[in-house]
Amino acid sequence: MDWKGYTAIYVVLFAFATAQAVVEFAGLVDSAYWVAFALIMVLSVVKAVGVAAYYQHLRWEPRAVTYLVLGGTVAALALTGAAAYSIL
Amino acid sequence: MSQDHEHGLPPKSSVSRWFLTTNHKDIGVLYLITALFFLLFGGVLALLFRLELISSGADLLGSMGYNQAVSTHGLLMVFWFISPFAFGFANYVVPLQIGADDLAFPRLNALSYWLYLFSGILMGVSFFQGTTFAGGWTMYAPLNTPAYIPGEGLGATSVVLALIMFTAAVTLGSVNFLTTMYRMRAEGLRMRDIPIFSLSINLTVWMMLFAFAALLAALMILASDHILGTTYFQYSIDGTTMATDADNPGASLLWAHLFWFFGHPEVYIVFFPALGVMAECFQTFTGRRLVGRKWFIISMVLVALQSFVVWMHHMFLTGINLPIKTIFMATTIGISLPFDLMVFSLIYTMAKGRVRFTTPFLFSLGALILFIIGGITGVFLGAIVLDYQFRGTYWVVAHFHYVMVSGATALFGGLYYWYPKITGKMYNERLGKIHFGVYFLGFNLLYFPMFIAWETPRRVFVYPEGLQIWHSMATVGGFILGASFLIMFYNLFVSLWRGEDVGPNPWEYATSAEWAVSSPPPLENFPGIPSYATGKLEFLDDETVAERTESTPGAAAHGHAATDGGTATDGGAVTARAAVTATEMEPAHEVGGEEHASHASFWPFLISLAGFITFLGLSGVRTGSVFYLSLAAVGGLGTFGSLLGMTRELFHAPEMAIAERWPFERVEKMKLGMWTFLASDIVLFGAFIGSYAFVRVAYGWTAWHHDLIPAEHVTMPGLINTYLLLTSSFLVVIAMVAAERESKRGTVAALVGTFALGVGFLINKGLEWQHLFHISTESFPNGWTLSTNIASSTFYLTTGLHGAHVTIGLIICAYMTVRAWNGAYQGDDRAIEYFGLYWHFVDIVWLFLFPLFYIL
Repeated sequence: MDWKGYTAIYVVLFAFATAQAVVEFAGLVDSAYWVAFALIMVLSVVKAVGVAAYYQHLRWEPRAVTYLVLGGTVAALALTGAAAYSIL
Repeated sequence: MSQDHEHGLPPKSSVSRWFLTTNHKDIGVLYLITALFFLLFGGVLALLFRLELISSGADLLGSMGYNQAVSTHGLLMVFWFISPFAFGFANYVVPLQIGADDLAFPRLNALSYWLYLFSGILMGVSFFQGTTFAGGWTMYAPLNTPAYIPGEGLGATSVVLALIMFTAAVTLGSVNFLTTMYRMRAEGLRMRDIPIFSLSINLTVWMMLFAFAALLAALMILASDHILGTTYFQYSIDGTTMATDADNPGASLLWAHLFWFFGHPEVYIVFFPALGVMAECFQTFTGRRLVGRKWFIISMVLVALQSFVVWMHHMFLTGINLPIKTIFMATTIGISLPFDLMVFSLIYTMAKGRVRFTTPFLFSLGALILFIIGGITGVFLGAIVLDYQFRGTYWVVAHFHYVMVSGATALFGGLYYWYPKITGKMYNERLGKIHFGVYFLGFNLLYFPMFIAWETPRRVFVYPEGLQIWHSMATVGGFILGASFLIMFYNLFVSLWRGEDVGPNPWEYATSAEWAVSSPPPLENFPGIPSYATGKLEFLDDETVAERTESTPGAAAHGHAATDGGTATDGGAVTARAAVTATEMEPAHEVGGEEHASHASFWPFLISLAGFITFLGLSGVRTGSVFYLSLAAVGGLGTFGSLLGMTRELFHAPEMAIAERWPFERVEKMKLGMWTFLASDIVLFGAFIGSYAFVRVAYGWTAWHHDLIPAEHVTMPGLINTYLLLTSSFLVVIAMVAAERESKRGTVAALVGTFALGVGFLINKGLEWQHLFHISTESFPNGWTLSTNIASSTFYLTTGLHGAHVTIGLIICAYMTVRAWNGAYQGDDRAIEYFGLYWHFVDIVWLFLFPLFYIL
């Protein structure tokens, strides 16, 4: 990827970060917390996937590297999800 | 052997060799000897409390002495003996079995060992800091926090720090073994075809990579509770005393989740290498290939995966809900099924072959019998209703030891099995068999009565009078078991001198590659480059390899050498030998016209020594003692200096020009090592974020923000830091582009920009923290500090861990900027890319911390 591609990704990431703050400044966190929660977390996931795919070049690495990363992510999510569910 | 033949290493008779060596076989021997020392240490403690248990009551050791002995015994045996003992064999044998001349990162391997040794020393030192940790090896909260530890509790803090040091050693080892096994297998050796012991180690290190990261998170949080005053595992602080009307209702459950998410895979981390030894010995001494080998492997893979979804069966007696208990009962029963298949595979192998009752086989068979008993008695504990009755009793103690010590039993078989390979001498077979007989008798006399006396409460020195006979039998069994090791040590020690010399292969049906070379093997293992391309093991000479790499450019491309973290330099003359270990990043070390891998470095020892001093200092900093503060400062400086020294050292660890690398063919070893480390770091941060989510759910997710967080904690500082980190990430990729275009000015400018933005991030964070520390409102009259409440603890510690990652990144960035200024990286952006992988990861973590801690 050349510098133009990297710059385009940067602009998108910057805009998404701003959008997350706007969700709060607009009062959505107070008026519809779980909608705001979902929106903000989806934006975070999209940004993270963007950084991993383009800045860390996962898109061009063998799939096995992606599976390695997903392995750690799934383990962390399993711990978080199951532990939190256990006390609901 | 002369120093020349050992490539700069002093001879084995020289003490200095053992401080310098990075060779996998030397490190393996060091692991084995050190682990056996910790076996003695933990064993003597066990004998002491077995003496105590001859009669009910703590009349020999005293109550605190008993609790310390039991806790330290458990910690030493689980952490400092069994796994490191297995990894002694793994270090020695795995590279030989897969056709590698060493591990991928030899200095990191030495660093793993020295960190392990010094962590054990720190554990020993803890006895001299008043008392050591006395809350049981599972270290349940809140008994693991200073408020519940008698006295100053410095020894307990040292134990926590020792475990952190140990976990660091394990993580480095996991990264190293995985990189080695995916980048350095002999040509033609598919993953499914590698010897079963190496395969068991491969699955073990996968589990270690993720499970120990969760333990590291738990220990770092606990260390923070001890040293910094956070309140994760404590109930609410009411003035200077602990109150039980908690604002942190998740405290003790959080520890249980984190610990057992690690703890259950740990059982298989301990047992899998033993299973590998058993399978090797069954094959060798029955003369029969493992029956159902493919299904045996599939079963191991299944267990490795399932091991991460059974942890809550250790928590059936806690307040977790019934649906989750039911799910985990099902997964726990499910994990026994692949084990059944493996047990039957071993039994059928024995039935179909012709058994030779050598000492290694006897220990392997004994281990199988003990494991079957341990496994069956464990199924009881997986059923919720039965667990209500058995939990916290000697049933658990007996079951646990039948499983864990059966693993150790197989490993003692492994010691006899590979002793001729390691020493070049044969042990005394008769004494070996006597050892097994006494060991097996002692083992069963020690642990079987515990099933009968199961109503004895665990970790308690008082028991009903009617159970005394069983405890007395167990004590006698313990001493018989202990005495059996005198026979083993005598046998192995004397055989070093009087044992019969052995050739490459003393076992008739042993077929793996370690038996194809002399005993002990030469420094770089093989007389040529190992290859299985024709279906059998061959050693290719340098010319054949050079021809092959020329005719298949792709193969040569795989041979891009990377340093073991050493200073990269630019190019060098490529001789025929150099083609075998082709290098683009650094010149060959020419010795007599040929290049050679490096095998000696003093830095791993120094880093670990300095780390030990740092951690010892940290154990006492909360007292404000000048002694401890000085130790921490001196150790910290020493650690930084020695890490810098290792980075500056020219150390050559070439990749093989021809190797089997599925499924990471196009991922160089440094890059694969970095990705593997990051996978572990994902779990570390995941566990921190998971801990935050857990305690917040326990408190009440939405009430949390209103009750525990001051209005002064606003979004803007987090948003500014998000912009700073995103921009710095962007500049790292621009530095890569500039380096690729050979623009020195562009590379330096982008790296300087990255550094400046990172510093800006830390300054902004520092200002924000200062502000929050000193607010004075009605709800928070004394500021919002680490100890104010659970919300402040999670905020400062999680973002603090992230800040520490930023700081480490900045140090690396500064170093790279200086090197770029001096002309490095032009036309070769790989080093910047590897740094970028880390820096972008730090950025990604922040992308989640920002909304969780600033918006939601």
